[in-house]
Amino acid sequence: MTNSDRSSLTPKLAWLAFVDMLPLCLAVLPWGVLTGALAVQAGFSVAQSQALSLLVFAGAAQLSAITFFAAGTAYGAIFASTFVISARHLLYSLTFRQHIAQESWLTRVALAFLLTDEMFAVSEAHTKRSGAFSVRYALVSGLFFYIAWNVATAIGIALATLGQNADSLGLDSLGLEFAIVATFIAMTFGELRRFPVLVAIVISGSVAVFSKPFFSDSYIIFAAVSGMIAAYFCDRSDVSTGVEVKPEQVL
Amino acid sequence: MTWTLIIGMATITYINRYFFFARSIAYRPGPHAQRLLSYSSYAVLTAIWAPIVFEFDGIHEVDLAGLDYLIATSLAAALSFLRINSLIVVLASTAVFFLIRFV
Repeated sequence: MTNSDRSSLTPKLAWLAFVDMLPLCLAVLPWGVLTGALAVQAGFSVAQSQALSLLVFAGAAQLSAITFFAAGTAYGAIFASTFVISARHLLYSLTFRQHIAQESWLTRVALAFLLTDEMFAVSEAHTKRSGAFSVRYALVSGLFFYIAWNVATAIGIALATLGQNADSLGLDSLGLEFAIVATFIAMTFGELRRFPVLVAIVISGSVAVFSKPFFSDSYIIFAAVSGMIAAYFCDRSDVSTGVEVKPEQVL
Repeated sequence: MTWTLIIGMATITYINRYFFFARSIAYRPGPHAQRLLSYSSYAVLTAIWAPIVFEFDGIHEVDLAGLDYLIATSLAAALSFLRINSLIVVLASTAVFFLIRFV
C-alpha cells in the first residue's frame, strides 16, 4: 500500500475522479445550501458567509460554528469545537503521509487544503482498486467537491438574501444524505470477508451510533479509532510480510 | 472581529489537514502503525454513515431513520458484499431509496 502513482493527469483519470465524487457532491448539496442560508441568518455578511466555505471548507465545523455564533458564544469555545470536529483530518493526513512524501511542497499544500471526508473516501477506494495512490486523482476529486460545496453555499446565501428562511426550504427532509450512506457502504463492504475489516466496521459503527448523543463533536474520531484498534488486534497476518498466519480464521 | 473568527477557524482546520504532510514532523508510521492505519477508511466511513441510519436517543432506544433507509441500506450492503461495481451499487440503492420515499 506504499505504492504511489506519480504519472501525469489524463482525461480518463480526471473523468474517473469526477464520476466517483458525483454522488457525494449531490449528497452534500442540501447541507451546503443550508450552511450558506444559516450563516446569513446568523448575522454573517454575504462575503463572510461565502468565506466560511471558501476558507474553512468543513461542513460540520461550519454548521456548529454558525450555531454558536448566532448564540453569541465566545470565539475561544468556537475554536475548541472546530479543532475537535476537524481532528479526524489528522487521521487522514497520517494515512496519506506514506503516499505523498515525494511530492513538492506546493502539491502537499494544495492536497491538504482539499482534504475532506469525501476526498479521503474516494481516494482510498481508488488506491485499493488501482493498487496505487494517485495524487492527481486526489486533487481532482477534492477540487470537484470544493466547487460543489461552494456553489451550494452560494445558492443558500442567495436564497437567504432574497428572504427565504432556511428551515422553510425543507432540505433536510429530501433524504439526499442517503447517497453518503450508499457511497460509503459501496467503498467498504467489498472487503467484509476479511475478518479484521468486519470487526473495524461493526465496532466503529456501533461506537458511533451509541456515543453520538454524548460526544456530538468528537464521536466520529472516537468511533474510528476504536474500530481501528479492534481490527488491528484481530489481524493475524505477519506484520512484516502481510501473509496470513492462520487463514482458517478469516471469513 | 467576525473575520478573526473565520481566519481562526480556517487556520485550525488547515493545521489538522496539513499536519502529517509536513516534512518537519519526524514521525514515520512503522509496520504496526501502517497496519492500524490500513483500517482507517473502513472505520471512519462507517462511523460517518451508521448514525445517519441508526439514531440512538441516549437512553435505551435505537431508532431507524425510516423503512426506506433500512431497505436501501440493506440492498447497498448486499450488493457491495457481492463486489458489484460501486457505481451500480450507489445508483441502484439510491433509486430504490427514492422510489420507496416518494412513490
